[in-house]
Amino acid sequence: MKAPFSPYLTGIAPAIKRLIAILGERYEYVSILSTDSSGFRMSVGQRAVSVANATMMTERGNVVRVMKDGLVSEYAFNTFDPEHPEKTAEEAMKALDAQFEILKITGSEVYETGLLDDEPLTLFVEYETETLPETCDQEALIAELTEISNLTMEKGEGLIDARLNAQSTHISKMFISKNRDMRQSYVYSEGGLIPIAFKNGKNSFTNAGVSGRVGPELFRQLRDKIDDALKVVGELLDAGTIEPGEYDIIASPEVSGLIAHEAFGHGVEMDMFVKGRALGVDYIDKRVGSDLVTMHEGALCATNVTTYAFDDEGTPAGDVIEIDHGILKTGICDALSAKRLGTRPTGNGKRENFEHKVYTRMTNTVFDSGNDNLDAMIASIDHGYLLCGMRSGMEDPKHWGIQCIIERGYEIKDGKLTGKIVAPIVMTGYVPDLLGSVSMASNDREIFGCGGCGKGYKEWVKVADGGPYLKAKARLG
Amino acid sequence: MQDYLIELVKNAGADAWEINDVQKNGWEFYFIKHKLDQNRVKNTEHTTVKLFKKSADGQYLGSAVSEIAPTASKEEAETILKKLLFQASLVKNPVYTLNEKKEVAVKETSFDVSAIARNFIEVMQELPETDTEYINSYEIFVNGITRRFLNSNRIDVTASYPSSMIEVVVNARNEGHEIELYRNYTSGSCDAAALKENLKKTLLYGRDRLKTQMTPALGNMDIVLTTDAALEVYQYFANRMSCGYKYQGLSDYELGEPVIKDAAGDKLTITARASLPNSSGNCPFDAEGAPVRDLTIIKDTKAEHFWGSRQFASYLKAEDSFIVGNFEVAGGAKTSEELLGGEYLEIVEFSDFQVDPMTGSIAGEIRLGYLHKNDETRIVSGGSVSGNMHKAASGLHFSSETVQYDNYIIPAVTRLTLTVTGVE
Repeated sequence: MKAPFSPYLTGIAPAIKRLIAILGERYEYVSILSTDSSGFRMSVGQRAVSVANATMMTERGNVVRVMKDGLVSEYAFNTFDPEHPEKTAEEAMKALDAQFEILKITGSEVYETGLLDDEPLTLFVEYETETLPETCDQEALIAELTEISNLTMEKGEGLIDARLNAQSTHISKMFISKNRDMRQSYVYSEGGLIPIAFKNGKNSFTNAGVSGRVGPELFRQLRDKIDDALKVVGELLDAGTIEPGEYDIIASPEVSGLIAHEAFGHGVEMDMFVKGRALGVDYIDKRVGSDLVTMHEGALCATNVTTYAFDDEGTPAGDVIEIDHGILKTGICDALSAKRLGTRPTGNGKRENFEHKVYTRMTNTVFDSGNDNLDAMIASIDHGYLLCGMRSGMEDPKHWGIQCIIERGYEIKDGKLTGKIVAPIVMTGYVPDLLGSVSMASNDREIFGCGGCGKGYKEWVKVADGGPYLKAKARLG
Repeated sequence: MQDYLIELVKNAGADAWEINDVQKNGWEFYFIKHKLDQNRVKNTEHTTVKLFKKSADGQYLGSAVSEIAPTASKEEAETILKKLLFQASLVKNPVYTLNEKKEVAVKETSFDVSAIARNFIEVMQELPETDTEYINSYEIFVNGITRRFLNSNRIDVTASYPSSMIEVVVNARNEGHEIELYRNYTSGSCDAAALKENLKKTLLYGRDRLKTQMTPALGNMDIVLTTDAALEVYQYFANRMSCGYKYQGLSDYELGEPVIKDAAGDKLTITARASLPNSSGNCPFDAEGAPVRDLTIIKDTKAEHFWGSRQFASYLKAEDSFIVGNFEVAGGAKTSEELLGGEYLEIVEFSDFQVDPMTGSIAGEIRLGYLHKNDETRIVSGGSVSGNMHKAASGLHFSSETVQYDNYIIPAVTRLTLTVTGVE
């Protein structure tokens, strides 16, 4: 079935167009993003259960973007009377005028920008889904999640809880300007099984996640995660600490995804080029990785939680090859930054929600597969680690430093896994060194969409990333 | 919030209910260098309704929560409430009761969003920048918030307060090399003097970052924290004293027992504060309508009161608890000067320093540090620190002087032993 577009947004569209026309009498460019996204989140554990009709992306509201004399201004609102759009127009103009007064008093100069492109474009997309969050049988879902939690507790040792998270969101977004009318609707879901263990004063946990641009039917897969999750949480309880040093590593697809995202993804977000905050601008057409490194970024390069038809600025989604066989080719760009840099936007202008500003943001960030297999990769290592599971990472676009906190490492000696496990691991280094050391890549790949991504320490959006197993050299601690 | 919505909630058939209504008037300014990238205003209202339903045998209390948009029609609101009631009936949590009406001291707070925003802009224009140490970009967020909370136990309280944030990126350069430092400050309104002082220091750190050598592999080393990174250390203890952590088995702390085993460092005392100067956490009632007040959480390293939401507090019989907005950590036995002796690595910039409150794992990549060893000071960068609070806490020392970071007062200097990875 198709995920139906919001009747509410359809209903207010004529009034939104009228609002644009009113504001158009004063401003040189006007566009409005309107959103109406609903969903639910359930958390089921042995000690507490919670249900909320809210996820990271549920929202209903509007944001007006206007341009005049080279200045970009925005007004976000969520009270709107479709019978009287002129009232909202008046409120928006009054509020922005009050800000201009402060800017005059403080003598603030404007970063002048040419008018945003507004080539005619009409789009109406309702992506396919098997089920919808709003019609999900929540009684059956809670029963299923409870049963999985109970089963996990029965099978596991030393567990204090087995939590199940399940959330599903039906997104509807409408972008309208003088020449554009773009509307899209899709469903994405994500879930996880989180066994938590306690032994000798030490806690351990893992999150076995599932995600996709699919409906709540996704949560059927959680039952299949029990055995793997229990194995990992047990390993973490008994894990040792790593002897700090530089090692040959094999990054699992999840860790490859973390490297793609943190090491390079943030480094080629081109709003950072505008600010002079990214080293990447000086490396276009230069080598930043080995021949085995090819990296894609874009809503269309994979199907996962952030695979949309257009971004929050009304730019159609894309698929960009950022690194081609080790050579940095280009970055990703929102519309405003593209105008400032004299390039084309790539469909990566995203907002946390209608209340927030647009930044250049990632969607799907993935390394291409290679021709090797995992067994051969392990056999090629004298002393190193197979790194699995991600906890967090932090970008450093200006210096290409990397910080990845990895859940666990399996020791490899003389081409074999020894059974020794270390956790957690801090992987640090210089990105071109890390990517330049990639010497093998497996012939498969996986993509993960359970995480969120911040810009600095704020502006949280959904992203997905992944890749194949990659062999490289890295500093671990 | 329209009155009819309150009536709809009252008549929805729930055994209990809560409404949280937040109106926000936000002013935002984004600058690249000192040129205005864009300006933004937001005028929003978010009304969140939580309905509770008891099981037929009275053993369980379920709840479900949803936002009801201000643009929702009456029919739409009724549909949401009906769904909430059904969802609440599916949830089987042990019974507890909502907060009762109590006296809440709501002080009239006077603030002007535009004046606060102007203060921030002017502070940024007055910084002592040079050709080699300067501001790359900054983002100013000032919100005037009015929050109203109502529940079925006759609580109906309203408070207004400002909440601000400024994100600043500082650059420093020499011939052929440029670095950046990132800062993110939260507060109630603009504390111009504190912000200026902190950014002046950051500009100096920027200059030093250009002179760094690679951090050597130091193995176990005394680490000194003198910035807001140290918050992670104290939040680890505060989080493990939360009712949610305790009830769900994630914390093994027991009332009257030490929170640090084999403690050989300073005695730890953490107190919840009803308010702190210019804190963004200054609201006289918590998210569930409970009045906030001063409350000792940890006293001389022993657990004294768990804090947190009504549900988990009720399960733990911490009946007089609430969700804490401000914390104060008391100073230690030695002065900052006394703590800054011997061999140690002072780290003033991490990419992201973390202490996991569940596992105790500590990790952070070093972006700028001062290594005091062999009677010399070297400026270092790169490598990482790692460890676990279960072990590191026993040797935790902190200064008698304290410093405020928004809703936390913590010791100005924190010293503990961790593992440092660097070049061999």
